[in-house]
Amino acid sequence: MTARAAALALAGFLAIRPVDAQAQARLSAEALLATARFRGTTLVGEEALTGVLAGGRGRFALGACALEVQYVQGRLSSDSGNIPSRDYVDGSVFLAVRAAPWLELKAGPHLRAYVAPGGTERWALWEGRAHLEAPIIPGTLRAHVEGWASLVSGVNANPGAAGARGGEVGMALHVAQSPLLVRLAYTVDQEAMRSSVRTEVLEAVVLSIGIGGQ
Amino acid sequence: MRRPLAVAGLLLVAAARSPAARAQTPAEQLTRAVQTYQSLEYDRAAAGFRAALARTDAGGLNDSERVQGLVYLAATELFAGRRDSAVVAFERLLVFDPRYRIDQLTFPPEVTGLFQQVRLRTRAAAVAAPQLTRLVNPGDRLSLWVYAAAFHPLDVVVTRPDGAPLRTLYQGGVGDSLQIPWDGRGADGQQVTAGRYLVRVDSRGADGRVIRTVELPLDVARVPRDTLALPPPLPDSAFKPESSPGGSGVGPLLTGLGGALAVIALPPVISAKAPGMGARFVVAGALGIAGAVGFPLQRRPHPLPENMAANQAMRLAWERQADSVRAENASRRRNVELVIRAGVSRPARSP
Repeated sequence: MTARAAALALAGFLAIRPVDAQAQARLSAEALLATARFRGTTLVGEEALTGVLAGGRGRFALGACALEVQYVQGRLSSDSGNIPSRDYVDGSVFLAVRAAPWLELKAGPHLRAYVAPGGTERWALWEGRAHLEAPIIPGTLRAHVEGWASLVSGVNANPGAAGARGGEVGMALHVAQSPLLVRLAYTVDQEAMRSSVRTEVLEAVVLSIGIGGQ
Repeated sequence: MRRPLAVAGLLLVAAARSPAARAQTPAEQLTRAVQTYQSLEYDRAAAGFRAALARTDAGGLNDSERVQGLVYLAATELFAGRRDSAVVAFERLLVFDPRYRIDQLTFPPEVTGLFQQVRLRTRAAAVAAPQLTRLVNPGDRLSLWVYAAAFHPLDVVVTRPDGAPLRTLYQGGVGDSLQIPWDGRGADGQQVTAGRYLVRVDSRGADGRVIRTVELPLDVARVPRDTLALPPPLPDSAFKPESSPGGSGVGPLLTGLGGALAVIALPPVISAKAPGMGARFVVAGALGIAGAVGFPLQRRPHPLPENMAANQAMRLAWERQADSVRAENASRRRNVELVIRAGVSRPARSP
């Protein structure tokens, strides 16, 4: 599937579910902090890095549609110290459509870079995501599961990108009569190069605190 | 000698049986007197009119016949050369019916001219009202009409049967007619009690003294007004449930535990090379605990604020409606309906 096909599919879905003119706009903003673990596997070995990431997430929702922006950065270091540290930068923009009260579909670009002394590895992904959620305490606490896969992927290293996929499980606390929003989630994704030359896995436990409507 | 007596007896019997000798009703006397007037036999006609007008009881002339008798009597007296008697007859006519205006096609100008002269100096009035009037609402009034033969000052007063004044409705001049409303209340502003009342109209002379009075009897009855029923109470089915029934709690429990398991199982699903970081168990534990907490919480009924607000609005609307009915009923109890039956105005006193 190409990016164009994905974009067309999302546009078609938006056309089926037009934005309700009476819908109330909701805006939320969160600051997030994550402890992350990176593992890169090559044909000859593997490397493990850990670090703390920080960033922010913003979401503007109107009716069933939403625009979601996220930016995270941090430094990943080797526990043993024999691997050079890398700066990690990750950003994404997703257009989301709520297909059902429990299901939201997202699509958009996702960029990631590992900045090392020897060069910068850049990933450019077009992703499609499915976000499912269910209440644990109605109106207060919701659990969610999100899975994604790259529709188009690219990397500035040979032999090129083979694809990416990931998932996230967590929960969101929205205190009643309060704009306070707290999220706790575990996320893991994998980017693979062709011919299994290199596979990179990034895991993170993310805690975010923000304000805004549900 | 016997023969003439027998003839005289037969003549008496025949005379007694003749139509002229039979007892005539006042109406028949009036008709015959008009015929006599038209035959220019004024003395006989005047006697006939006086005889017809003599009876004033129930067997006498009705009002229109009495008016006709008086006007013809006046014309007859005038043509018989008795002008003063004609004036007296016209005065009687105008006191009896101040609204009367002479027909200028029936009577010659000397008769109509004398009538106008008498009318202009006769201070007489009459009062009339609808036979039945109901005063239901605060704005309802009894319409009294006062008619005057000629312009003169008069007083219109509602009195008790013993003559005690209850309320003065009008004091002033009336030239032809005047409508005077009465709201069924006395001078103190209170509705009158049930009973018989009089509307007294005093015509005043040039010196201000009462020279003539007519009275209109009023029978007032107080009828309690029907009160309105309160709006029917709202049935339970009209209300929305104010709390959701408690659930089984299984949903939150499964969601929490399922989420915890998903956290644990997610790394190998995404990548065989992902060992799974230990910190994820914090998330898994939090999800599991949340599910355990959500389990009893969901079993409890949850209030539904929207339904509670809608029910409260419905109760308030019912209360407003009921208050409106109660206020209307209180007003109806305070102000009963007055049913006023009016009689016919009659002269009460003449100078």
